Amino acid sequence: MAEECNDFSIMANKPLPLSQEILAQFNLSLATGSCVPGPPRRRLGSISTHRSSKEQPKDQPLHRPMLLRAMTGPSSDSSFLSPNMSNSHISFSKRFSFAGWHQGGRVSFSGLYLPEPVQEIYKENTYRTGPEEGSRFSASRTQQITQATLDRYLEAVCYSPDSCSQLCQMLSDLVLSKLKDVNPPRYKLVCQVVVGQSGKQGVRVASRSLLNVDTDSYTSAVFQNQSLFAVAIVHGVYFE
Amino acid sequence: MDDSHSVEETAFVVDEVSSIVKESIEGAIGANFYQQNRVNVWTSNVVEQCLSQLSKLGKPFKYIVTCIIMQKNGAGLQSASSCFWDNTTDGREHHYSTSTETVWLGDHCLSNLGVKPVHSVSQ
Repeated sequence: MAEECNDFSIMANKPLPLSQEILAQFNLSLATGSCVPGPPRRRLGSISTHRSSKEQPKDQPLHRPMLLRAMTGPSSDSSFLSPNMSNSHISFSKRFSFAGWHQGGRVSFSGLYLPEPVQEIYKENTYRTGPEEGSRFSASRTQQITQATLDRYLEAVCYSPDSCSQLCQMLSDLVLSKLKDVNPPRYKLVCQVVVGQSGKQGVRVASRSLLNVDTDSYTSAVFQNQSLFAVAIVHGVYFE
Repeated sequence: MDDSHSVEETAFVVDEVSSIVKESIEGAIGANFYQQNRVNVWTSNVVEQCLSQLSKLGKPFKYIVTCIIMQKNGAGLQSASSCFWDNTTDGREHHYSTSTETVWLGDHCLSNLGVKPVHSVSQ
């Protein structure tokens, strides 16, 4: 570790306020006899720095000091930090001797990463009670998309008991994914696909819903060939 | 609408819905044989009964009910549904029953859209 923690003079001239607190706190804990491994102790009072041939970019102020405690190995490759860095600092290829010195990172006493504080999202009222003009659920467009999807994917398919259950589910997901692209905001979708073998039996599919007529709608599409039939029902429901 | 509903009030209760669906089917169709001229009436009855019972629950939900009745003839039938909704508040339930003629009852979905859940019962 000796070769890693050097050149403290770079930073020692300008100690960050926080570092003093942490150092003081840590030294206090030292004094009270907390178990700290011996060798790193002498470095504990140091401010972290880096060893690099490149200059540190000016737009990266050092946030936190690193307190070394038995750092195991040099992070000799800069890729160590790249996942933790923002895209704007991808070129910042420094070699750090300890973990955690990255843009905006927080480090505990032991040098381990602290989880980033959870950013609280404050939701505000939009005061919107209905869908916007022009962004309602379009039954005709949905019907076209659904019908086209059914036609395209079932054109040459033969009914087989083994594969048709997966086919059915796959179709349902497919229709849903296509509709999600054109789905207006604040609309939920329910898509149901029924695939059956074409035989001599009669079958009836019926659907009824308790919805808001102004904002909600549904469409259905039917496909039939020699061996199978398929019915797709899609409901679009507005939510606030 | 008021957003301060408790979780219990706006949760999708599977058992209640399941029993409603089952009763509607048995009440409307019972153990009848498949008759083409009566299928329309049966599906309407099943769906209407389901929906009226569900709306009587008084929950802030929207409902979608689908009913599939198929004659038992050896042919196969598959049904699948995908939903783009909020998993925490919305849900589905299905009921399937057969008689000597297949009365196939499928899925029942319930979604809570904000404070107005959508519930779809497809049979």
